[in-house]
Amino acid sequence: MKRSWLWALSFVLIAALIVPSAALAQGTVTILGVWGGQELEVFQRVMDAFTEKTGIKVQFEGTRDLPTVLETRLAAGNPPDIAAIQGPGQMHQYAERGALVDLSKHLDMNNIAADLGPAWIELGSHGDGFYGLMIAADLKSLVWYRPDQFAAKGYQVPTTWAEMEALMEQMVANGDTPWAIGVESGAASGWPATDWIEDIMLRTAGPEVYDQWVNHEIPWTDPRVREAFEVFGKIVLNSNLVYGGPVTVLSTNFGDSVNELFTNPPNAYMHRQASFITSFIREANPDVVIGEDVDFFLFPPIKEEHGNPMLGAGDMMAMFNETPEAVEFMKFMASAEAQAIWVGGLGKLGTNNKIDPAVYPDDVTRAMAEALNSAEVFRFDGSDSMPSAVGSGAFWEALVMYIGGEDLDSVLEYIENAAQEAY
Amino acid sequence: MGRSKLKRMMPRIAINALVIFAMVIWIIPTLGLFVTSFRSASDVASTGWWTVLTSPLKFTQFTIENYQTVLSTGGMSTSFRNSFTITIGGTFLSVFVAALAAFGLSRLNFGGRTFFYGLIVMMMVVPTQMTFVPVLRLYNKLSLSGTFFGLWLVHTGYGLPFAVFMLHNFFDSLPDDLFEAAYIDGASVWTTFVRLAIPLSVPAIASLVIFQFLFIWNDLLVALIYLGGHESVAPLTVRLSSLVGSFGQSWHLLTAAAFVSMFVPLIVFFSLQKYFVRGILGGAVKG
Repeated sequence: MKRSWLWALSFVLIAALIVPSAALAQGTVTILGVWGGQELEVFQRVMDAFTEKTGIKVQFEGTRDLPTVLETRLAAGNPPDIAAIQGPGQMHQYAERGALVDLSKHLDMNNIAADLGPAWIELGSHGDGFYGLMIAADLKSLVWYRPDQFAAKGYQVPTTWAEMEALMEQMVANGDTPWAIGVESGAASGWPATDWIEDIMLRTAGPEVYDQWVNHEIPWTDPRVREAFEVFGKIVLNSNLVYGGPVTVLSTNFGDSVNELFTNPPNAYMHRQASFITSFIREANPDVVIGEDVDFFLFPPIKEEHGNPMLGAGDMMAMFNETPEAVEFMKFMASAEAQAIWVGGLGKLGTNNKIDPAVYPDDVTRAMAEALNSAEVFRFDGSDSMPSAVGSGAFWEALVMYIGGEDLDSVLEYIENAAQEAY
Repeated sequence: MGRSKLKRMMPRIAINALVIFAMVIWIIPTLGLFVTSFRSASDVASTGWWTVLTSPLKFTQFTIENYQTVLSTGGMSTSFRNSFTITIGGTFLSVFVAALAAFGLSRLNFGGRTFFYGLIVMMMVVPTQMTFVPVLRLYNKLSLSGTFFGLWLVHTGYGLPFAVFMLHNFFDSLPDDLFEAAYIDGASVWTTFVRLAIPLSVPAIASLVIFQFLFIWNDLLVALIYLGGHESVAPLTVRLSSLVGSFGQSWHLLTAAAFVSMFVPLIVFFSLQKYFVRGILGGAVKG
């Protein structure tokens, strides 16, 4: 009758749905990552190249909520084989818990050392093991500007902080606004300002103090941390120096803020942001030619003795399951062949030094790669290296509070309290 | 005369004005989203959507490019199919189980009935996120993770407390005499359920179906956890969220994606809406 027909149907459906998933087993590697849109398209090309070469299938799962999903899967015992994690901070946490596979047991470390350079290996190391493979980098110490506007107004690209301050004064005297800054980014609001603090910190306090600060060996209330906030505050809290003043900074999305450079006449003349900002510029201003209409100069050194260190971030991959397929994939991602596809498609910078510079999409990217390779000192994004409660929590919030006008001492104490619990 | 009539009309005018005002406030974000979905990426980045209001008839400023991009993304038809499989299965299973449970708790006499009902309703306050790890661990053992059937089960579990609560109150409000008369005529419990309770509670069931359908259709996190984000199983929500880059690049595509995804629930809502208001009131005035 009718009812038994219904039961039969549901059993068939159930059987049909359970069986195919069980077949997912041999010769597959599963990867979890945050990439979407164009990034996903390019990563698909990387995966296709891998499958073609080895015959191993790749299943990519993308979510921008990666920490939640990864944490849940780990706790439940079915992590992905490989995950693209946020950076050294996450890597250290997972490695400490024993969740990661030591890559030095599976990869030929001599080859890796020859290809990657010591800075990248150090970033991926925890204790004696090598856990995080940097597959690409973004350079952060960049100031974007329009050469034609600079030329028209007689502005010179500054090479020291004194010149930078003089340039800002000159712009204000001309009635121009030097900076465009936006720190809104949904739940992650505030992070674009952390890059400012890190860049300044590297230049006012130097790389050693920077490392101590990232590892919380000096407190947030230390005068050297305070100084970095003050240098940033001088700019961001001054409505003459930043377009729209602090209110606009807080309410403008970081990806939109760069567009103030492209109004006519420009609302602002400089924008400090990592290399990835070019994809936002292209999207919002299709006519703009990167490298001609807009170019970058390096964030100038502040204290001479600390030189001009480069701040950057990048894509790091870590292995959670010890399968031969996953090892093959990690090997592939370390190779110049795979990285060339990834960085060539996205304008990122490769970590493998055998990459042919010709793969970079334009001269601007080649110039960034050169700046990265020739940098005397390179440091990874500090907020991505701190425990997430601080690096992707209190630090972000504190900068929103600071730009919102809160007293610097209470802001620094706020982070310090969070840090004392997190480290 | 005109004056006194106006005086009588005043409260009504005030109420209407208030309702219209509230509606306008309510609809502005959706309207903004809708207008934005027809604007090009560079327009979205440079000016707000309200700027089109100054020249709404200038059709060249509008483009369907966003919709074209969204609909032509690889795997869109697969994700539509996945969404339907998940939502229809999940809605059917949860409403079916809830109807049986609510009927038992409301119409059958057994010890501890109030206790069990209370226990089920209490589950409404348990945050979904708390259950992820233990349930996923169980699913890995039973190899249910990554299957549609597993997802139907969790959606049924998450939906049950509210569904049982709603149907229980509705069944309670049905007159006892009706069921006694049926029993005297020799009807079994099953017959009273199928022939009496279900037909009488169509409005309540229809509105429950709408609720469940919307809930499951719009879900992103539960699907991501239990099913994973791989293309072959990902529902529409997961697929659409991957249109955006890791720094939020191309977010303007999401405006069009929102309307693509909204389309199906709207059809369900409008086809069932005549039951909806009756159903919401279902069980509200218990006899």
